Amino acid sequence: MQYSSQAVAKPYFVAAIGLFVGQIIFGLIMGLQYVIGDFLFPAIPFNVARMVHTNLLIVWLLFGFMGAAYYLVPEESETELWSPKLAIVLFWVFLAAGVLTVIGYLAVPYATLAKLTGNDLLETMGREFLEQPLPTKLGIVVVALAFLFNITMTVLKGRKTVISSVLLLGLWGLAIFFLFAFYNPVNVVLDKMFWWYVVHLWVEGVWELILGAMLAFVLIKITGVDREVIEKWLYVIITLTLVTGLLGTGHHYFWIGTPEYWQWIGSVFSALEPIPFFALTVFAFNMVNRRRREHPNKAATLWALGTGVMSFLGAGVWGFLHTLAPVNYYTHGSQITAAHGHMAFYGAYVMVNLTMISYAMPLLRGRQANSEKSQVLEMWSFWLMTVSMVFITLFLTAAGILQIWLQRIASDPQPFMVVQDQVALFYWMREWSGVIFLAGLLAYLASFFVGGKPAEARAS
Amino acid sequence: MSSFSPHDDPGRRFAVIAESLYLANLLIAPGFAFLGLLWLWRRADVRALPLARQHLRQTLIASLWAGAMLGGLSAGILLIGGFTSMWSWFAVILYFIVFHSTLVLCGMVGLSRAISGQPYRFPLIGPGDPA
Repeated sequence: MQYSSQAVAKPYFVAAIGLFVGQIIFGLIMGLQYVIGDFLFPAIPFNVARMVHTNLLIVWLLFGFMGAAYYLVPEESETELWSPKLAIVLFWVFLAAGVLTVIGYLAVPYATLAKLTGNDLLETMGREFLEQPLPTKLGIVVVALAFLFNITMTVLKGRKTVISSVLLLGLWGLAIFFLFAFYNPVNVVLDKMFWWYVVHLWVEGVWELILGAMLAFVLIKITGVDREVIEKWLYVIITLTLVTGLLGTGHHYFWIGTPEYWQWIGSVFSALEPIPFFALTVFAFNMVNRRRREHPNKAATLWALGTGVMSFLGAGVWGFLHTLAPVNYYTHGSQITAAHGHMAFYGAYVMVNLTMISYAMPLLRGRQANSEKSQVLEMWSFWLMTVSMVFITLFLTAAGILQIWLQRIASDPQPFMVVQDQVALFYWMREWSGVIFLAGLLAYLASFFVGGKPAEARAS
Repeated sequence: MSSFSPHDDPGRRFAVIAESLYLANLLIAPGFAFLGLLWLWRRADVRALPLARQHLRQTLIASLWAGAMLGGLSAGILLIGGFTSMWSWFAVILYFIVFHSTLVLCGMVGLSRAISGQPYRFPLIGPGDPA
């Protein structure tokens, strides 16, 4: 660790991992509710488990991004963080807001929570992924703005690099697009259109810039390849991301009441969306092939390569699978969407956060890399989580194909719940894969507590 | 492998083209990109470059396998199971996604190796280097 203020990243990473564990536990609860409908009912109804599962995902990824920014920006800018104290205060505010929100979801019925938190003053609740009560949403805006102020001031007073600029662009975009969470038109078509401004333009727009910057930073550190080479790749990747991703929003506008031309725009541009992920994968492998040093942190290298591959598969391949309008006519809102969502989020954003944590945590704990023993366990966790996520995706895809056929293609279409019963076998297999994923996550946690002599660098 | 030099620029250029054509054959121009590979293979000046020859040989044979396994097996499943059977489509779609993605990923690794001026052998379907 080159700058003492980088240490503020550590609590962010710890909180991120803690919330990640919570997300997976609620995922398993919900997965079981798919096949045992009364499981934990009425204590944790399905809609609440789902809300906690998805909200925890978003919050822990945001914790990860903020921790990454606090670690990365001082090193890129070659200066201490503008205000480490502000970063610590924001950490506790954000954590308290997140925990109180989850307690609110679990403790009172959602409608009561809406009444208690002033939703009638400005109606923002009740929309998927944006279920947070108004005070939480306002808290997110305050935390985001103060965080951006801190990071931007750090960049402004120090060296300006492509990586920190791309990261800032992504983070500012993240904050700006979140403002659409406060716009809730009565017209349901407009409501959905602007809802996607947050959801799509986050994950298929500005978050990809954050991902690219984080991956580029780690690759510079672990491969020793010239910054100029990596920055050129980064320019290409973010250009491809913005060219394809912005108008790619159109693939969410099929069949929701928007004009038909969105079927062409959405199909064409989102068919191109795998290209930046393709470039990201070739970039990661190419940098590792051209490495000038053998960095002792093998686990971080594995996570970095895994991010490229899994994001290409999850976001690229599984996204393309149902993005063309004529195909989406059948697949819309089926388990195919769930399959894509799981692998894309894991491959792109979970893995890039774990890449960063894997690289930075040993340095934050005063060593270049963890011991060989610790890294072996971490690599086991990589394979357990990644392979089980591949199976989760495949089982959901299998369930989706059958669901589409039985519900939408067969000459005698069956009702939704009848079909759900018929694909239960795949939900069971998905659940068992989820258990293995949890085992992988626990192995990941355990790797932090394995001692031994830190691994050392050797010449290439 | 010592005959491959990362500074073999003409060889590297053709190796990158070969891997790109392999990927294009899988992704955007099936058939046409394969014809491009064949045309490249027929050029003696290209085959004379060790790195280009290695990548060309790998991508040509991997493309033949890909065609046979993606086209042939998928068609076989549909012909045997029937075009109106749910289970035929279930098997074909899952098989195609998994196998096609695997072939594309191998091509991406091959492309990154070619860019770095290094040889690459496709797992399982790639031919061994001639003695």
